[in-house]
Amino acid sequence: MSTVKEQLIEKLIEDDKNSQCKITIVGTGAVGMACAISILLKDLADELALVDVASDKLKGEMMDLQHGSLFFSTSKITAGKDYSVSANSRIVIVTAGARQQEGETRLDLVQRNVTIMKSIIPAIVHYSPDCKILVVSNPVDILTYIVWKISGLPITRVIGSGCNLDSARFRYLIGEKLGVHSTSCHGWIIGEHGDSSVPLWSGVNVAGVALKTLDPKLGTDSDKEHWKNIHKQVIQSAYEIIKLKGYTSWAIGLSVMDLVGSILKNLRRVHPVSTMVKGLYGIKEEIFLSIPCVLGRNGVSDVVKINLNSEEEALFKKSAETLWNIQKDLVF
Amino acid sequence: MRTRSRGLKVLPTALLVSQRSGQQLFAVSLSPLLERAAMSWTVPLVRASQRVSSVGANFLCLKMALCPRQAARIPLKGAWRFTSVSKMATVKSELIERFTSEEPVHHSKVSIIGTGSVGMACAISILLKGLIDELALVDLDEGKLKGETMDLQHGSSFTKMPNIVCSKDYFVTANSNLVIITAGARQEKGETRLNLVQRNVALFKLMISNIVQHSPHCKLIIVSNPVDILSYVAWKLSAFPKNRVIGSGCNLDTARFRFLIGQKLGIHSESCHGWILGEHGDSSVPVWSGVNIAGVPLKDLNSDIGTDKDPEQWKNVHEEVIATAYEIIKMKGYTSWAIGLSVADLTESILKNLRRTHPVSTIIKGLYGIDEEVFLSIPCILGENGITHLIKIKLTPEEEDRLKKSAKTLWEIQKELKI
Repeated sequence: MSTVKEQLIEKLIEDDKNSQCKITIVGTGAVGMACAISILLKDLADELALVDVASDKLKGEMMDLQHGSLFFSTSKITAGKDYSVSANSRIVIVTAGARQQEGETRLDLVQRNVTIMKSIIPAIVHYSPDCKILVVSNPVDILTYIVWKISGLPITRVIGSGCNLDSARFRYLIGEKLGVHSTSCHGWIIGEHGDSSVPLWSGVNVAGVALKTLDPKLGTDSDKEHWKNIHKQVIQSAYEIIKLKGYTSWAIGLSVMDLVGSILKNLRRVHPVSTMVKGLYGIKEEIFLSIPCVLGRNGVSDVVKINLNSEEEALFKKSAETLWNIQKDLVF
Repeated sequence: MRTRSRGLKVLPTALLVSQRSGQQLFAVSLSPLLERAAMSWTVPLVRASQRVSSVGANFLCLKMALCPRQAARIPLKGAWRFTSVSKMATVKSELIERFTSEEPVHHSKVSIIGTGSVGMACAISILLKGLIDELALVDLDEGKLKGETMDLQHGSSFTKMPNIVCSKDYFVTANSNLVIITAGARQEKGETRLNLVQRNVALFKLMISNIVQHSPHCKLIIVSNPVDILSYVAWKLSAFPKNRVIGSGCNLDTARFRFLIGQKLGIHSESCHGWILGEHGDSSVPVWSGVNIAGVPLKDLNSDIGTDKDPEQWKNVHEEVIATAYEIIKMKGYTSWAIGLSVADLTESILKNLRRTHPVSTIIKGLYGIDEEVFLSIPCILGENGITHLIKIKLTPEEEDRLKKSAKTLWEIQKELKI
């Protein structure tokens, strides 16, 4: 008795089950799922795998996404507690980890998240030895260092989402102040993704016009327009949103989608992401901080050598010190 | 001095005339309370004009249609100061020269009522599909509302859509092209959609009158469950013509149906055609006669398809569609992504006047022998005026019976409602 399928369809060749562009997301919390929906709507992957420890939530999220299949083009969505589902991923996005509580700094989270990384990373590398790992969990700079150490991967393939989001927030706020769309307002925040991030005021420009040439006091304490507050707002943003809705998700999800796009499509766009900065700006320790990096199929293929003025360099070094003070005491 | 219901005082200072256009403007001085409301709040009834005339003064213009990006630009420190003569050199004034006094008019504004998981899934899907130029969010929980709005604004360089406003007050929804209602109590574990009704009708009374007041020409998409009954309620309360009240209905059920058929056949859901009509819920009706791939009806290959006699038990596919919402709720607590994507799909058809067909919930009285004034899903053509046409789909007597039964069940509940 032949099935409807047999009557309808004549097979010519076996289905090629090897994905070309598989992405795995570790952690199906708010951040992981925001990354997932953004990646799906941008058609960046042909397979999406979700991994988490909570198996019910995991399966529920997978099914919810699958039911939307009609509306996007990622034909395979899988999920599992076991990392075998992540095999042959091009990119593995790590969002798993303890969440920043109200009032808690990112650095407070460290030890909790180190333990989690130790259980995750070896399995990821085992199943996808050629992948790029994109670390999102906080404190992202320290965790990117941890992930790099545990994974044994080259520094080019371990990338922290870093200040990509801070810079996006920075540009949004500058845009609001000027009445210009954020994509036309250029400004970079580097260093720690956190309280000690460094806004590069000298680089802030619209149409190539550096705002600092219009107002040399831009970003300083004597600035009448208090542009410095914009940077303060960027730092405060996460704490504020966490206080209001409990967590942040959409902006970081979109920011990750932006990075994934550059990597998978080998766009070679420049993003401020967290990478190894030992040897730059007089930094001697193995620290990961955000600097402008060229992202392509191989991960971080180049870094842009920005000229920091003495004040910015001092702040950058201070970021490094803050992180090293925590990193040096870590046991893993 | 005019006081708004929330106690924020808006103080008109003087009547001004713009030097450029001769247009009358009002200058408004904001109370210090407002500066603390942070940049992402809209200021009620105040829109900061981008006008920087040769005199160097900033004029504020009072208008009902808010330009959210400008309204959100509250100075970080100090109330608006009204300087009439002195040149206030800001970086902005040094950098940018105003070229036109024409203000932007937003053409594709969508408002979403309810910033829970469903509302936000609708929001992110609509934003990522680039369908709109303004988004307004409304919810009772002000903290959550503001947090969600800020989160979306911060991602705006990636969605290219920074014009996101929010308020507890419905004025932010003014001049919406489309208003999506997701607000309502969430389906509890094991609770049927029908049990949610009474909880949601009270909410709707407040919502609909506010929405209609500010966007009298909008289309309404109802998502809150039980969607068919609530679409009826919304239609009654709004007094809108029937083309402008659309229940998300079976658009999602059908998407799930096509996904599952696709899984069974090893083909992408987009190439598997099938329709589920009637009630969005337990008594939905799969129209097996229409299920086809490349125009080949599966019923031609298996005449028992969908019946109990079917050796392949295709009926299970439909049963899975019904059970699936409950299953996902059990596992993750709620459903969000699929319904969000489904609503974005409807939004696209309406805003772009695509005239695609979708199974959405509309008034079905007079069709298929149904006398009750109920809403059920049938294939509708969606365009900029909402539901412009219906597809006269031929149903078997059994399928028609099921629709009639659905209609009766819904009417039993509806007639008890105090609207």
